[in-house]
Amino acid sequence: MIFNSLTFLAFIALFLPLYFSLKGNARLWLSLIGSYIFYGWWDWRFLSLIAISTLVDYYLGRSMEDVNDDKKRRKLLIISMVLNLGFLGFFKYFNFFTDSFVTLLQNFGMNPSVHTLRIILPVGISFYTFQSMSYTIDVYRKQIQAEKSLLRFSTFVAFWPQLVAGPIVRAADFLPQFHRDHEFNWDRIVSGTGRVLWGFFKKCVVADSLAPFVDQIFMEPNGFASVNLLIGVIFYSFQIYCDFSGYSDIAIGFARILGFDFNENFRTPYFSQNFSEFWSRWHISLSSWLRDYLYIPLGGNRNGKLATYKNNMLTMLLGGLWHGANWTFVFWGLLHGVYLIAQRQLGKPFGALMSGLRFPPALKTGVNIGLTYFFTCVAWVYFRSPNFENANDLFAGIAGMEGFSFVNVMSKFTVMKGVLLIGILLVVEVSNLRMHWSSLAFKNPNFRVAAYAILLLLLAFFGSFGSGAFIYFQF
Amino acid sequence: MKKAYWIFATLAVALLCDRAGGWFLGKITKESQFRYSRLYNSTETEDVLFIGNSRGLSYYQPYAEEKTGLTTANLSYNGMPIDLGALLVKDYLDRHPAPKVLVVDISMMDSVRMDNKLAYQFNHYTPYSERLSNLLAKDFRNDFYAGKLSHLYRCNSEVFQRTFYYWKKSDKDWLLDRVISQSMVNDVDKQTTLRFHYSPKMMESLMDMVKYAQQKGTRVEMVVNPYFPAFLPKIGNLDSLMRDISLATGATVKDFKDAVTETEAFGDYQHVNKVGARLYLDKLIEAGVLK
Repeated sequence: MIFNSLTFLAFIALFLPLYFSLKGNARLWLSLIGSYIFYGWWDWRFLSLIAISTLVDYYLGRSMEDVNDDKKRRKLLIISMVLNLGFLGFFKYFNFFTDSFVTLLQNFGMNPSVHTLRIILPVGISFYTFQSMSYTIDVYRKQIQAEKSLLRFSTFVAFWPQLVAGPIVRAADFLPQFHRDHEFNWDRIVSGTGRVLWGFFKKCVVADSLAPFVDQIFMEPNGFASVNLLIGVIFYSFQIYCDFSGYSDIAIGFARILGFDFNENFRTPYFSQNFSEFWSRWHISLSSWLRDYLYIPLGGNRNGKLATYKNNMLTMLLGGLWHGANWTFVFWGLLHGVYLIAQRQLGKPFGALMSGLRFPPALKTGVNIGLTYFFTCVAWVYFRSPNFENANDLFAGIAGMEGFSFVNVMSKFTVMKGVLLIGILLVVEVSNLRMHWSSLAFKNPNFRVAAYAILLLLLAFFGSFGSGAFIYFQF
Repeated sequence: MKKAYWIFATLAVALLCDRAGGWFLGKITKESQFRYSRLYNSTETEDVLFIGNSRGLSYYQPYAEEKTGLTTANLSYNGMPIDLGALLVKDYLDRHPAPKVLVVDISMMDSVRMDNKLAYQFNHYTPYSERLSNLLAKDFRNDFYAGKLSHLYRCNSEVFQRTFYYWKKSDKDWLLDRVISQSMVNDVDKQTTLRFHYSPKMMESLMDMVKYAQQKGTRVEMVVNPYFPAFLPKIGNLDSLMRDISLATGATVKDFKDAVTETEAFGDYQHVNKVGARLYLDKLIEAGVLK
């Protein structure tokens, strides 16, 4: 089930009144069944994966708490890792690694006869696997206590607002919230509704309006005038941001309505002045997961420059691979690894150069934001392209500057609409840094009515419905 | 319940603004100079009626009118499928005096490249056409009823954006103004073969349109518009399409696929630009299509 569908509208119309009319375990049961229906609507067969993952992690968590022997605890953790990463590896990466292995052997003149399997990628597997894994790791580290109720733990793993595309919530933050009975609260309805509407605006209005132009450009970049290729790349940067952060907004909004608090997943990332800042503002739940469960255990920045670079690079490569089974994603991760290392190496000399040029501070900030955005877009090209050939063709096309004029802009109405919508998005997000629209909507009922009505009208006039699944479902 | 007032207030304000906005956009739709607004809101007499997809825009009206002295209307639109094209032509023939000639670009006969969802973009014209309302209610049920619920949603389409754009100006000048890029010229061999995927249902729509026009006393000319010369070997089954259309309608399809040969006359492989449109229209006049 996807948020931008009539089915979901029917689901939520039934779910919300039932949810608030129940309490205690009955409410947990409703949340669990609702979550399984939400997920099973796509393909009920894969519910078994969530169920197995849930059962195994629940019992391993309990066992870890009962055992004092560190070796035994370690063994239990390894079983959890093997199971979760095994599911992920099989369903997401089996064909990728098989194909890559065959290609490698072919490069050495061998022709192995290896069959790949027709495997369907279960929606959201990367998200709930990471969420479930963080629980067993935290129990192992004794940072949290194992959950005693299987019902509560199952609901934590499968909770529908963030099940298929995050944010990746941590057990330490989220599980304790299931121990409270959330009363119906108008304040939460107010702020949650605003967040949901804003998420729908980002997804259905901005991202889905940009999608057709972007799809055309990235499918076959040859033959498009350079101006269209450049517009395609810029549009994609906003499409993926609005698609993914829109989903997070909707998830955070619905969770808030239901009485839960998720951490923020995006904080205007394209206004970052460097790449470490970018990663503290983009897909925060994943980057902090990778930091806490991979980068720091690897040694983080504690063992000298070279080791730090190695850890940075490894984390980013695996972060790239997490997104999808394709070398283009790995390359995207590699580029970000290079950016982070280059920033550590060149940050100071570059800062000194900027100071020497005596630019006004606003211009310096602008240059930093511009450079970070530029290199982010370079990496997006590899992230979005189906293969390296298309990505390289796209760069060659832009660099060739052939047909770089307004007259060659194709689908002018789509482009004008895209520019207008990106403009609205930026105005709202930039002004929000000072105005804090959500608190204004919370405090001032008249402003709230006007703002929510405007969002509804924008959805009606510009929204695309029924066609676009969320990009991050495939991850 | 007092605390819930903002929900009702929000919905009421949204509905009120939706109706007010819908009324205003409806006024624009009515007053617009865009081709479909003129179709539904004028009763002008035109001598020549063109119908096609984006390739049908190559019937560059200012030049055709200047060279022939005939008045023209063009109902072509990017990705126009034959069933929608036939519907619009029939609506035109019901509302306007019959034109002397209907020129049909047969590349609409393709279910793959045409936009089969284009009809729902005509939602804002449903108050004017029973045929369109019926088509949308049948094939685009959700969009049709969403348009009843929200009048702004009815105008949520590129076709409406064009209606707005041509509010105060004529759309007769709508045609590509670019020249095919050198890289496109070089890459023509890399292009995949273009095949027309047409069904008996599509053929029925075409026959229905042709008969309807003929019953009104309109001569029907079916033509193949020019393709970029080096792209011609990439066209798969045009001849069999022409043959099947002739068999079904009893009319000959006039083939102008190689009527324009100059590279600078094309915007891409399948579309002439303003230069090419002039050259092509000269050929149509010479062949007696426009008379």
